[in-house]
Amino acid sequence: MTDAYPTTRRRRVARVIKHVGLIIVCLLMLYPLLWMVASSLRPNSDIFTSSGLFIDTFDFDHYPNGWDALAYPFSTYLLNSFLVVLGSVIGNLISCSMAAYAFARLRFRMRGFAFVAMLVTIMLPIHVLIIPQYVFYAQLGWINTYLPLIVPKFLATDAFFIFLMVQFIRGIPRELDEAARIDGAGHLRIYGQIMLPLMVPALATTAIFTFIWTWNDFFTQLIFVTKPDLYTVPVALRSFIDAQTQSDYGAMFAMSVVSLIPVFLVFLFGQRFLLRGIATTGGK
Amino acid sequence: MSALGEFRNLSRSRSRLDTAGKQERSRDNKAAAFFLAPWVIGLLGITVGPMIASLYLAFTDYNLLQDPEFTGLDNIRRMLTDDRLAQSLQVTFTYVIVSVPLQLAVALALALVLDRGIRGLSLYRSVLYLPSLLGASVAIAVLWRLVFGTEGLVNAFLALFGVEGPGWVTDPDTALGTLVILHVWTFGAPMVIFLAGLRQIPRELYEAAATDGASKKRQLFSLTLPLLSPIIFFNLVLGLIGSFQSFTQAYIISNGRGGPSDSTLFFSLYLYQEGFGSFRMGYASALAWLLLIIIGAFTALNFWASKYWVFYND
Amino acid sequence: MKRHTSRTVRAGVAAATAGVTLAACGVGADPVLHPELSDEDVTISMNWWGADARTQQTIEAIELFEEEYPNIDVEPQYADWTGYWDRLATTTAAGDMPDVSQFDQIYLSSYAERGALLDLATVNNILDVSDLDPNVLDTGRVDGDLYAVPTGATTNGILINTTLFEEYGVEIPDTTSWTWEDFERTSIELSEASDGEAHGLSPFGGDSFSLTVWARQHGGQVFDENGELALDPELLISYWQRTLDYIDSGAAPSASELSETLGLPLDQSGLVTGSTAMGFIPAGQFIAYQSAAPDFDYTLANWPVDADTEEGFQYLKPSMYWSAASTTEHPAEAALLIDFLSNDTRVAEIFGLDRGEPANPAFWDAVEPLLDEAGRESLAFTEAMSEEVGDTPPITPSGASDIEVLLNRYYQVIIFGQSSPEEATEDFFNELGDAINAAS
Repeated sequence: MTDAYPTTRRRRVARVIKHVGLIIVCLLMLYPLLWMVASSLRPNSDIFTSSGLFIDTFDFDHYPNGWDALAYPFSTYLLNSFLVVLGSVIGNLISCSMAAYAFARLRFRMRGFAFVAMLVTIMLPIHVLIIPQYVFYAQLGWINTYLPLIVPKFLATDAFFIFLMVQFIRGIPRELDEAARIDGAGHLRIYGQIMLPLMVPALATTAIFTFIWTWNDFFTQLIFVTKPDLYTVPVALRSFIDAQTQSDYGAMFAMSVVSLIPVFLVFLFGQRFLLRGIATTGGK
Repeated sequence: MSALGEFRNLSRSRSRLDTAGKQERSRDNKAAAFFLAPWVIGLLGITVGPMIASLYLAFTDYNLLQDPEFTGLDNIRRMLTDDRLAQSLQVTFTYVIVSVPLQLAVALALALVLDRGIRGLSLYRSVLYLPSLLGASVAIAVLWRLVFGTEGLVNAFLALFGVEGPGWVTDPDTALGTLVILHVWTFGAPMVIFLAGLRQIPRELYEAAATDGASKKRQLFSLTLPLLSPIIFFNLVLGLIGSFQSFTQAYIISNGRGGPSDSTLFFSLYLYQEGFGSFRMGYASALAWLLLIIIGAFTALNFWASKYWVFYND
Repeated sequence: MKRHTSRTVRAGVAAATAGVTLAACGVGADPVLHPELSDEDVTISMNWWGADARTQQTIEAIELFEEEYPNIDVEPQYADWTGYWDRLATTTAAGDMPDVSQFDQIYLSSYAERGALLDLATVNNILDVSDLDPNVLDTGRVDGDLYAVPTGATTNGILINTTLFEEYGVEIPDTTSWTWEDFERTSIELSEASDGEAHGLSPFGGDSFSLTVWARQHGGQVFDENGELALDPELLISYWQRTLDYIDSGAAPSASELSETLGLPLDQSGLVTGSTAMGFIPAGQFIAYQSAAPDFDYTLANWPVDADTEEGFQYLKPSMYWSAASTTEHPAEAALLIDFLSNDTRVAEIFGLDRGEPANPAFWDAVEPLLDEAGRESLAFTEAMSEEVGDTPPITPSGASDIEVLLNRYYQVIIFGQSSPEEATEDFFNELGDAINAAS
């Protein structure tokens, strides 16, 4: 019977192969996460001897221990990170989309120069900038606040996202805004009512990436915030470990797993917005 | 530098602009002042100051604790005879040239597969993005050492075929290669960007192409890829900038040392060691500006080349 | 938030307006001689590195201090080791160094010579260090001036995993008088008996502590009083050659395996995972090893010797210090806090041996009854060794804070056969010598 439908069969086989391939790739991707979860459930002395996922002895204590191991309950650090992340996401969405609109759609003086300047700002490594930055923020009295982490985002210092959005806007047919302009729409209206809705995938990408990168960023959060009650998750996670004494790795793994949950949820729910391209909003 | 390519793009659209007239141009200038205000304030208020400071420090001897001392071109002279600098350049170039195209190819291929309305798309996408979520934490550093160790999983697997593998991340011959693999493995970010880009391509175009009888392969090469080219270009440019500055992966795997025996001494890692480890922030700043020049040159080259293969809708 | 006004900030403001922000720390700041404690409310900051357990203990000690002196508020800061030094360098460069900081001997000269630390003689009306072992206290001096108060000190020792020896039926020789030959022979025996499961020893080769002890065993030293590199190159060659010999003879694991655990936190070392049975450790870390590997039973031994070994080759290396910033606005309160941490025995009861075996004998007495078996064994070892220790060598000079990193790097170069010990020694001398010269 199958002989009668060779093409359907071949297609089905192809589909199965595709899924099998994807599942293998997915397992490779999942492995580290599973291992982290496994390690958070092992006694400390087993962690460094097992790269597999099998757990000999379960040890659930790492979660309650880790939660209370530092000076403040771990919820403090999660909350602090949320604040920083929230500010950063909002800042990046507003400021980068505005700058991107200008770069992609407006013909203004010194545009080429400004564009180059924007790219150049992300070419210097943070390690040579951090000291002048610290001096500057200290003068403003911003050390031990989240302002040095959030305010720059409202001032479009993340050129990555500006450039990203520029590329997206340039993919949007110009006829759309020209039509609006003929109807008498100003730039603000074109930006707000035409571009932003069409840019949802780029905005979602920006939001998700800003969330994840800020959530994981260690260095600037370490330097600008020195008061323990203001510590964020990445700084807190590192303070579990000291090379010269014995450290509670199990607790560190447990809290690493805990701190992954919000990012994973954000990605899981945020990604539906990635799907809203022209294709679904019916741009034409 | 990269102004070249950008100017070219500009001049192409300028012809159209001229017909639009002066009035529109001045309107554009005003609007630009508004839309760019946050960026300009950020640039002048926050970004430029520290950059100029680091440029000045590049010509000084600065040990962090005492006032910097102007030393003219000493730091540049030092670069010329610095063996570790040469080593770090070699490591970084190898890494960039291998890992960037490889990661983009994997990301693009998977994005194309996933974009074809596959069942369980969101699940796959989430899982594929996972490694990028994990970032470069202490936990991951421990894992890599275990997986790629002499007694690790990889070697256990190879042993099934009678192959005795080295200590992947701790043998100078294989450490950099392993880092390339780890980099490729975090293809989630470019993949997500590709997916978002693919979503922007109007479905009608495919329908029209299909009616015209274009094969899938034909659709890919004459429709999908050209329309996706601005995004490919973006990923390429930012991928290059990012990889030249690669720091964290090598840092966590070699404990901040670039070992074994400097085989993973990335440029940024070397610069960090000089600045914070050896208290030579003046030299580190000079290195940073050398890096800026290198990255700038590559980016400019990219912009110049882009006019041959990047297709814009506007 | 605490702000240092003064010349730093003014200089900073001026610099920033010019678009150039530069450091101007307290170099040349004139410390007040014998400052008085304030009656008003004062806030000082205190900075340390360490894991969660140390954080909890230190905060407990701070609370005790604040109870004792209700007008002083101590703001804690802490980070992991690398984060700690990155942040300290940044804040110090900006003239914003925390009032009291935990220090390590490799960075002490670098900070003290460049004027970042408070000369503690200026506050000796408040800070009393007379109870501390003078030999250990001297390690807090730079160019004769006291900049840091040691918390404790320890000798180097050989950690022996007796469980592994029992498991493989190898007898541990009498370690009170063992020779390097005994050491190697026993190691090979264990490697062979375990059939590749474990190796007899983790060699030295990548840390300045073991190098210093090695040099002293052979009548040499690493740094001299003038802060110069005074190591006989032959000693460095023999130090590295010894490691190569161990790898060749099978006493030690392969280069690849060794490289794998190099510079890792002790929880991940071969001594804890059970892949090596003996290794060189700062004896004060004994408790940490023992609690990281509850399945194993460890013991400590002195280094093996040869017929011509010098007496008193072991020495007390300071585990860490307390020091104050030269820019502090509250030198009196900072000194009071250091005094409290160094003299109040309730602090000893909280800290235990976490910051090394105490430099203050009163702390020693306070700690002893509270210790577990491993702790007592560790103290007993240090006590026994105190008969053997010689003079304390000068600390790592300014500019040489890289020594650990350099040793580490050349160690790997050597074990992978990319350079011979002779070539590596030459490069090492050039590189470290340059760094020291550049700093002085």
